[in-house]
Amino acid sequence: MPKVIRQYGLMLKWQALSQKPLLPLSMAVQVMIAVGFVIGISFFYPDINPTIAKFLTTGAPTIILLMIGLVLLPQIVGMSRKEGTFDYMWSLPIPRIVYIAADATIWVAVAIPGVIVALALGAVYFDFDLSISPLVIPALLLVATSGVLLGYTIAHGAPKPEMAHLATQILVFAIMIFSPVMYPVEQLPDWLAKIHSVLPIQYMADLSRGTLTDLDVDLGLAFIVVGTWCAVGFIATSILIRRRH
Amino acid sequence: MLLEIDNLVKQYRKGPRANDGISLAIAEGEVFGLLGPNGAGKTTLVNQIIGLKVPTSGSIKIDGVDVVANPDYARKACSFQAQTQVPIAGLTAIQAIELVGQIRGGEKTSVQGKAAKLIESLEIREWANKMGATLSGGVRRIVAFCMAAVVPGRIVILDEPTNDIDPVRRRLLWNEVDALAKTGSAVLLITHNVLEAERAVNRLAIIDQGRIIGSGTAAELKGHDEEGMRLELVLEPGVEMPNRPSYLNHTVTSNRRMISKVRERDVAQALNWAQSLKEQGVVEEFVLGPTTLEDAYVRLVGRLDVLENKEASS
Repeated sequence: MPKVIRQYGLMLKWQALSQKPLLPLSMAVQVMIAVGFVIGISFFYPDINPTIAKFLTTGAPTIILLMIGLVLLPQIVGMSRKEGTFDYMWSLPIPRIVYIAADATIWVAVAIPGVIVALALGAVYFDFDLSISPLVIPALLLVATSGVLLGYTIAHGAPKPEMAHLATQILVFAIMIFSPVMYPVEQLPDWLAKIHSVLPIQYMADLSRGTLTDLDVDLGLAFIVVGTWCAVGFIATSILIRRRH
Repeated sequence: MLLEIDNLVKQYRKGPRANDGISLAIAEGEVFGLLGPNGAGKTTLVNQIIGLKVPTSGSIKIDGVDVVANPDYARKACSFQAQTQVPIAGLTAIQAIELVGQIRGGEKTSVQGKAAKLIESLEIREWANKMGATLSGGVRRIVAFCMAAVVPGRIVILDEPTNDIDPVRRRLLWNEVDALAKTGSAVLLITHNVLEAERAVNRLAIIDQGRIIGSGTAAELKGHDEEGMRLELVLEPGVEMPNRPSYLNHTVTSNRRMISKVRERDVAQALNWAQSLKEQGVVEEFVLGPTTLEDAYVRLVGRLDVLENKEASS
């Protein structure tokens, strides 16, 4: 077995055991958020129809995956930074990126049940059909991985853990209210739409919509933009975790 | 030499130099103590050896390899017990020890055997299957030691390994440190517990304010302290420090404590003086005894409060 695979397996075991007390709770919270999200939407739109419901429900995976990657993860990494966890983990003879890969795997796994519950519940509750493409797996994995890697960038890039924590507070707000996930980008003012044309968020929503519904979406462009951000997150994380002060 | 540090300087953006021209060398099979008060720069030095921090100038070599440029080499060569607690809240003691052994490149069954041996000899069997989060600070620190010792590096770095550990297991732990050195690892022991260090190390260096202010064997460091005795007084609370007779030398004081050196021929009068202070209610207690490494340490650092650190941790 190649050495790096063995190291990854060991690190995965270490992280899974380390997070064990927190994992069931994190998963439960994600599922609850997903359920709350789908039901909550109907309160915003009293005369919601299946077409609008489909649009909104298929935004849920993006919101859930970004909440984990960009909000929950930087907070937990921040806590670990404060406790000195990385001083120990990074003294071990294992590439740091292997540690990150193992940790990222766990977070993506935590996110999956919530995503499935949100989609299934939405489809049943609002009575619409999903048309699921096999591309949904790479698409959602890409969204999750990008979110997680950008989350590490924030978590390890912030000069102080508290600053990462604050950044996540702003991000929650920006993602939920000011991003074209739950509504079409045309409803944003031009300047904000322009900003979003280079940010990954609307393309993440496109990836989930384009692979879960028959809505007309430029999937190729979405893969390219989100893929680029994923690469940026990977490079930034790799550089940040190798930094020595 | 296995580990060679030459003229190492670490300057943080703010504050004085944390390491200010440190040079030392450690050989295979040696237990080397690094003693110093809190904030002396000990942990900063260690963090540079294992590549968590980068020196401002100077060099660190392991086997002649420049590990400032190759931190990965340092991480393979060193196993490390950090001063902070290890992150093992969700793992049982035995899982943590075995996994780290495998991560350090050990083969599964031999790691299991070695872990079981360490658990036996450090007498932590009853906690072996308990989760890290439920372990007391002392047991957790023993587990952290086992994690550093299960597949030891050629250099084993122990940062305050005996903090919070009970006296019986401290002794067992020192036996294991000894065993590590016997198998050829160099042990770098960081502590501010002078008395323990004196028993455990072959050589040591005393560090204060980022500089090495003395180094050698314990006997060499004691040097002229070895002749004569030491008189230690603890005053009653609120009492002023009495005037000292002229035959008391090298006196260091702090708050209610005073430590002085007494030549052999002055021992009798020193004893009488201390006894009379006790009778007058000035002195709560006093001890007259042979000099220790602690005296050399206090003399070199020049402050008695460095020992208060030791007391807080023991």
